[in-house]
Amino acid sequence: MTKPAAGSVAGMLTMTKPSAGSLASRSTWVSTTSVSSSGKRIQREMVELNLDPPPGCCAGPKGDNLYNWVATIIGPPGTPYQGGIYFLDITFPCDYPFKPPKVVFKTRIYHCNVDSAGNVSLEILKDSWSPALTITKVLQALQSIFTKPDPYNPLVPGIAHLYLQDEAKHAELAAEWTLRFAK
Amino acid sequence: MARQQEEPKQSPRDPKVRARESSDPVKVVSNGTSGDSSMFSPRFKSVAAMAGWDEESLLIASLVVDDTPERQVKYKKRSDLHFKTPPTNSSRRKRRAQRRSPISMSVSVLNLDDDEETKKDESGKEKEEPQIIVNKEKETGDDKMAESSGVSCPPSSNLPCLDKLRDELSCAICLEICFEPSTTPCGHSFCKKCLRSAADKCGKRCPKCRQLMTHSRSCTVNTVLWNTIQLLFPQEVEARKAAGALNSSGEAVRQIPEKAFYNTRSVQSRRASSGVSSNREMTMRRRRVILSQDEEDDDAALAIRLVQNTEAEHQNPEQGAYNNHRSIRPLRASSSRRIPSQDGDAALALRLQREEFMEAFRVNHGQSGSSLSLARANLRAMTSRATSHRATTRHL
Repeated sequence: MTKPAAGSVAGMLTMTKPSAGSLASRSTWVSTTSVSSSGKRIQREMVELNLDPPPGCCAGPKGDNLYNWVATIIGPPGTPYQGGIYFLDITFPCDYPFKPPKVVFKTRIYHCNVDSAGNVSLEILKDSWSPALTITKVLQALQSIFTKPDPYNPLVPGIAHLYLQDEAKHAELAAEWTLRFAK
Repeated sequence: MARQQEEPKQSPRDPKVRARESSDPVKVVSNGTSGDSSMFSPRFKSVAAMAGWDEESLLIASLVVDDTPERQVKYKKRSDLHFKTPPTNSSRRKRRAQRRSPISMSVSVLNLDDDEETKKDESGKEKEEPQIIVNKEKETGDDKMAESSGVSCPPSSNLPCLDKLRDELSCAICLEICFEPSTTPCGHSFCKKCLRSAADKCGKRCPKCRQLMTHSRSCTVNTVLWNTIQLLFPQEVEARKAAGALNSSGEAVRQIPEKAFYNTRSVQSRRASSGVSSNREMTMRRRRVILSQDEEDDDAALAIRLVQNTEAEHQNPEQGAYNNHRSIRPLRASSSRRIPSQDGDAALALRLQREEFMEAFRVNHGQSGSSLSLARANLRAMTSRATSHRATTRHL
């Protein structure tokens, strides 16, 4: 009973991610993580994300470690971040989904909610995390702060100030950073 | 609770007494001890004495005669209501229905019965399927209970809605099909385990809508939903069950390595004493079973090991000696953990003797007297060996 199910999952994984050539190593992490609930859940999220990715986003494990992911978000059109490709590192805690994943921007961005180290101030990644949230929803939330920065809970107060006072100047600077770092 | 259990015992023995008591409970109280002597028949009193009830407890028991059967009936009714929910017009049912959401109430009842019926007649399934699909199309997509009632066919059939159902019936926390789903007061269902760990680690708020949830409700399984899931996705449920069993057994071994060690020991010694006559082997096994019922009892475990030991020694000197040598370690461990007193030894002897009698009556009931006496003698010898052996190991 259990074997065919596991086989089908493995088949889906190999089917959806044929580019990664480390088949042997994948089979090892499949077997090791099949016991833990967090590993199972992350695997499931990966399968679902690959089957039905949200527009402008993609994400997947960095290497053999299921708990370290890399994600990309494409700057939404109609924003100063338009056309930029932003790389993010996602680290899952071992008691995921009961604790939120850690998300760090690897690409520099001129945004009041992202500091120079790439840390993000997003409520759902902190206190209002819920185990019912998935990486897909986190990525969508990140996309939404691209279009609508939250200057009232800023990580970089200077940018928030500028955004509130002179949005045109803010947009100009953001577009400049996008061109410089994200293209 | 205990009194409730006594009731059925008491009532069939003397219905006359019960009737009299129930008709006039006040009189019993007012008359006191002189009254109850006349109330109970001598036969009943002797039975009560055998059961070890004193007069006071009898009196108290007689006072609750009246309401107990009714309570039992009520309980039965409620359980019936819970599983079958026959159409009645009682006010309580109405209130119940109002409290629940109307969707889950009306549909869930029909749905389960339907599912069971279709499961019963496997042959009629093919005929029913087209009709079911027609039903399916009529229903709205957002009502998951209604959907599940429509899909009473097996999951092997490729229904277009099965994927949707899978999404609907999967737990938002583990993203798999809900295992033993538990429903929050706000109406969201998760696996019982997932919900519990979410409540432990993330606070008592619904993971979906962040509403506060009370702890008591979060631990009950939504029976209707669970049955539906079991009917719709038997493979997934089985796989999950198997995985759960695997995990729990692994945990059990990790938790009590000592017990596992003893078990292997007992297997070893049983193998060593393969030459034992079948009768004796059987008695030994039974004894082991009886003793293992109170496994926390050190003495019992000790007795098992000792008896096995001596038995092995008796049957096969070489092997026995080997076993003996091996068994000293666990014995020492146990004695260092809790040094047995003289009282403990006496208790052990008494227990063994009692077991002997029990065994004699139970096992050799239909057998000839000669084998009975033989077994008894064997056991007695083993008992004395066990106690002496224990004394020597304690001195080591």
